[in-house]
Amino acid sequence: MTFQSALGLSVPLAVSIAALGSGLGLGRMGAAAMEAIGRQPEAATKIQLAMIIGFAFIEALTIYALVTMFVLQGRIG
Amino acid sequence: MSEQGPPELPNIITLIYDRFGSLPLAQFLHHWENVFFSCLIAILLGIVCFFASRKPKLVPGGLQNFLEMVVEGISNFVCGILGERGKDYVPFLGTLFIYILCMNLFGLVPGMKSPSSSINTTAGLAITVFLYVQYTGIRKLGIIGYIDHFAGNPRDLVGILLVPLMFPLHIITELAKPLSLSLRLFGNVLGEDILIAVFVGLGISMVGFLKLPLGVPVHFPFIFLAMLTGTIQALVFSVLSTIYFLMMFPHEEH
Repeated sequence: MTFQSALGLSVPLAVSIAALGSGLGLGRMGAAAMEAIGRQPEAATKIQLAMIIGFAFIEALTIYALVTMFVLQGRIG
Repeated sequence: MSEQGPPELPNIITLIYDRFGSLPLAQFLHHWENVFFSCLIAILLGIVCFFASRKPKLVPGGLQNFLEMVVEGISNFVCGILGERGKDYVPFLGTLFIYILCMNLFGLVPGMKSPSSSINTTAGLAITVFLYVQYTGIRKLGIIGYIDHFAGNPRDLVGILLVPLMFPLHIITELAKPLSLSLRLFGNVLGEDILIAVFVGLGISMVGFLKLPLGVPVHFPFIFLAMLTGTIQALVFSVLSTIYFLMMFPHEEH
């Protein structure tokens, strides 16, 4: 296996694994936030704000993998 | 082996560069592409605000009404997080939000490009936020209080023993903030732009056998996705900046 083919196999795999983990985290977080809003609808704006900030932190991990992919993409050739 | 970047939609500057690539002006524009578009957005926003506030009326209508609504909304939002002292930071954070929102959505206008799909633009914004947050910390806490904050506010023996651990930890946290802010915005916007460019290419190649300059608009749903992500990322950038300001303010837990 050459360097290029190893990279070509592993880079999309890395992004997909990161996306899988982020998806699980986002799902848990969204479910908890929806439940909280359902229990206490008057606090919906505060919960949504906290939820969006948490989403940003979780999503950033996938974005790091995506940025790594952009960096390595030129080397696959 | 071809050094090929990710696909991107043509904009005005790449069209000029393709046509007049030998002219120094075209090369200059091509080199400073992102700076050109970010300056263009800043000028457009300035013109809009100038015309809205030229003859301010007591009972606003039209553009002035809309901008007052936006400013009031941002002000309420920032003061909801920071409290009364947040009034001083509304201009900075509001400018960040409006500017980033316009930059993200600018890529959806045909012939234009999102300047925030370049790491340099987002890194510049994130470094500005970083420096302003550190300046605020030194202003509000004082030099001693600032170092005390970095040492984790040691008040007892355990706290003092933990200082060698807390100090590098706080410095790494502070340095990781601009990195994550810039990478998040850059990655989201660039990913969205590449997604649209790939689907535009797919739509063109679907009817390529007709030999006509046409394409199937398969990228259409992703434009809405890009609008959604662009808005959320602008919101996230300004909310996280607000939170960083909040973390630098004096604590009131005692």
